[in-house]
Amino acid sequence: MKILVPVKQIASLDDQFEMRDDGRDVDEDYLEKDLNEFDHFSVEEALLIKEAAGDGVEVVVAIIGDDDSDDALRTALAKGADRGIRVWDDSLAEADGTSVARILAKVVEREKPDMVFTGAQSSDFGSATTGMALAGLLGWPHAAVVSNLEYKPGASSAKLRRELEGGLEEIMTIRCPAVLSIQLGINQPRYASLRGIKQAKQKPVDELSLDDLGLGASDVEPAFHVRKMYAPERGKAELITGSAAEQAARLAQIIKEIRGM
Amino acid sequence: MSDKRAAKYDVLFEPIQIGPKIMKNRFHQSPHCIGAGTDRPGFQMAHRGVKAEGGWGAINTEYCSIHPESDDTMRVSARIWDAGDVRNLRAMCDEVHKHDALAGIEMWYGGAHAPNMETRQTPRGPSQYASEFETLTYCQEMDLDDIRQVQQFYVDAALRARDAGFDIVNVYGGHAYGPMQWLSPYFNKRTDGYGGSVENRARFWIETLEKVKRAVGDDCAVASRCAIDTLYGPGGVEVEVDGLRLIELADPFVDVWDINIGDIAQWGEDAAPSRFQRQGHALPWQRLVKQTSKKPVLGIGRFTDPEKMAEVIRNGELDIISCARPSIADPFLPNKIKEGRIDDIRTCIGCNVCISRWEIGGPPMICTQNATAGEEYRRSWHPEKFENAKSDDTILVVGAGPAGGEAARVLMERGYVTHLVDSAEKVGGHVNDVATLPGLGEWGYHRDYREVQINKLLKKVKGSQLALGQKRLTADDVLNYGAEKVIIATGASWNTDGTNALTHEPIPGADASRPDQVTPEQIFRGEKAIGKRVVILNSDTYFMAPSLAERLATQGHEVTVISGVGFGHYMHFSLEYPNMKRRMVELNVKVLGDHWASRIEPGRIEYYNVWAEGSRREYRGPGKLPRDENTSQKWLEFDTLVLVTGRHSDNTLFREVKARQDEWEKHGIKNVYVIGDAWAPKMMADATFDGHRIAREIEDADPQHPLPYKREVISWGTAYQPGGEYKQEWRL
Repeated sequence: MKILVPVKQIASLDDQFEMRDDGRDVDEDYLEKDLNEFDHFSVEEALLIKEAAGDGVEVVVAIIGDDDSDDALRTALAKGADRGIRVWDDSLAEADGTSVARILAKVVEREKPDMVFTGAQSSDFGSATTGMALAGLLGWPHAAVVSNLEYKPGASSAKLRRELEGGLEEIMTIRCPAVLSIQLGINQPRYASLRGIKQAKQKPVDELSLDDLGLGASDVEPAFHVRKMYAPERGKAELITGSAAEQAARLAQIIKEIRGM
Repeated sequence: MSDKRAAKYDVLFEPIQIGPKIMKNRFHQSPHCIGAGTDRPGFQMAHRGVKAEGGWGAINTEYCSIHPESDDTMRVSARIWDAGDVRNLRAMCDEVHKHDALAGIEMWYGGAHAPNMETRQTPRGPSQYASEFETLTYCQEMDLDDIRQVQQFYVDAALRARDAGFDIVNVYGGHAYGPMQWLSPYFNKRTDGYGGSVENRARFWIETLEKVKRAVGDDCAVASRCAIDTLYGPGGVEVEVDGLRLIELADPFVDVWDINIGDIAQWGEDAAPSRFQRQGHALPWQRLVKQTSKKPVLGIGRFTDPEKMAEVIRNGELDIISCARPSIADPFLPNKIKEGRIDDIRTCIGCNVCISRWEIGGPPMICTQNATAGEEYRRSWHPEKFENAKSDDTILVVGAGPAGGEAARVLMERGYVTHLVDSAEKVGGHVNDVATLPGLGEWGYHRDYREVQINKLLKKVKGSQLALGQKRLTADDVLNYGAEKVIIATGASWNTDGTNALTHEPIPGADASRPDQVTPEQIFRGEKAIGKRVVILNSDTYFMAPSLAERLATQGHEVTVISGVGFGHYMHFSLEYPNMKRRMVELNVKVLGDHWASRIEPGRIEYYNVWAEGSRREYRGPGKLPRDENTSQKWLEFDTLVLVTGRHSDNTLFREVKARQDEWEKHGIKNVYVIGDAWAPKMMADATFDGHRIAREIEDADPQHPLPYKREVISWGTAYQPGGEYKQEWRL
């Protein structure tokens, strides 16, 4: 019995940042890298199933990323995942959700997991496409924003709850194997202990190339292309000080300016 | 990250001319006591020097006695009496000058407020009166010879100060000292040319300034600290009556005014605790001086917020921001503003624990926020710089309160992979509760600073982790955690059975599991309904009982306090006591001091006068009291009884892990330590110190216990006076 948990290393912005010279992304120096927040929950959900079952469940985490992303993978391993897979090729620098899903589909082919848990979305780009695209490529059932899961390893179906708009919840049964996109709050993710962090350094990680998975660069062409990234101009705020009369005068002046009087 | 500050702060970095000197920016470290004086020149030099390094444009001594006739023993002042003092204070001046800052001296003559217990001299004043601040000290009324002589004390002190390297000499007329005693009709009852009209009462001050300026004015800026309103109303100095008149008359002889308010007997109105006053509380008085004087005006008021500082200068309320407490909490405050590092500022919480040490008389100053304050020289602790980690050991810190949070912060500053774990959802431990008490909101800055810094450091030190909202760790969890070193900082709790400082035993019937008895924590958690009639049983000498009394009385409860120890006694030292007492009166809180409880029954408490056992003491045989039986017991009814009787360490985890010492090696654990309240309940400042210290000393031989520090004491055989001899001589 095996659960595959694809994870992502996301980037978050410093308080102050500058754009890259080509204007299509933020300068890497101003980015903090971390494991995607949603993936803490998908990893935890897999670990809870593993722990409830005793032995016999293997949790494999997979990441598409360069050497840097090893940290995110090890974070998941430190929590208790058994082993990792890291796929990288320089042609993947601008991979989108669909390209990643194509790679993951090959990983699924290779690993033959019983379930795949992805995070509901990534906290940097938020496309929420990877899980859905993966299920489509595999021809597996898919459920998005899963907020509760009842699943016994090896069972042919799982019961789950999904969050809908307007505070509604949906209870559904899904045929397994399936791809589930896990929502925040489904569980309380654990922190790794120092022992876990130390052990994670020793855990096996398969480093695979596109070639290893039988893919070529043309198979993972992104479907879209970022043309420009920029910070939109912000509205101005002004602190109005002085006596009540002075403040009122300044306020009147601003109103006149805005109304073009 | 340098010079990213917002342009609005630029005004704080404009140089300003004061007399013959140029101050490089608008940050003035106000004179404030630290316990160094002239007797601990290393402490003095290092503490002031680190602030100069941190960007303060001018740095002052504490009040500095100009003559043995003004001796404040046991409180620690500086002294500039002789060549020995000049040598010791020069160390500070030299250090301050290294960083392009000005060194200032606050020249102090205490009059009747100086008890002269070391020098045994008789103080002089404008009239004869008993000090309202000091016990049993009267001064002699000066005649004209005396006036000339005391004014010469100032001149001679200024000359020595110039020789020591000081750039600013401050004629100290704040806090009802020196010339203020002449200006204020509260002290000055004379009928000659130095008494009566304001012009006459100002004469001593103006003549003194004139003489000092003539003596050193070419080399030093002449400042004068003036309490522009003594807050007594017509009986003292009122800003718009006598205060501004003095400013007009003395303006030509002053290069910079240093304006505060209040007196010495209640100087908490000046060094106001955050419990009662916000930053800039003296501005309504100070701005009037700025409107009157042609000279630069500086003023204090626990300015902590750069926004406020810049606003005060832009609005023309002051020219220079003067800080004592904020400079202690963060010696690098100016540089952090300059570099745009606002969120790195360690903001003063206004608890006045620094001041409390001066009030106690003797101990070195400490700071709740800045554990390195006062430790610069003797422990070699720099506030912003740390030794690199000396090993790859990983460290688990259990408890993110003041001790654990500070330990984790400093460990990560050093580069240790640190895991900080707490059952609460927020960093700060009991500070999260304390900061909800009336007036104590700013104490939350202690938590905020650590929370911000820890979160920043987690990104810098890979593998480090802050785990909040966790289930409480067991001994097994700790042993299996995988850390080489473990620091346990699990805090303390209030006693639930009435165990107290008077009897060291539980009180029969005290039981906080009952619905009508509560501990402070139970009040914070809101887990029990509080009845109309509340009795607080107190044997804690700090803020908890007064704070709960205020909170409950404000909420409409009828509050009576039975206190076996001085109610809020430590608040005398933190200058919170006078207004705390005023709050109790305003809120009709009844305080039965010198009373303690003998037993508690549902809805009532039996209490007794602790002095009612008779003064006669004799041996009456075994099993018999050496005094009469105390029969003063009375019953008092309550709906809710609050037990503020004492605290105990929550050290079960430490004890259990310690008991399994033989398993440590197997689990890769090298050592386990306990700090903060879990070691022994203590003040927040001392818990923070524990955390800081163990992080600094984690690789030393016995990190559980502090390393010895460098002591500054007179060595036998070394004369204090240059060229002097150190030997016993008899005058025969």
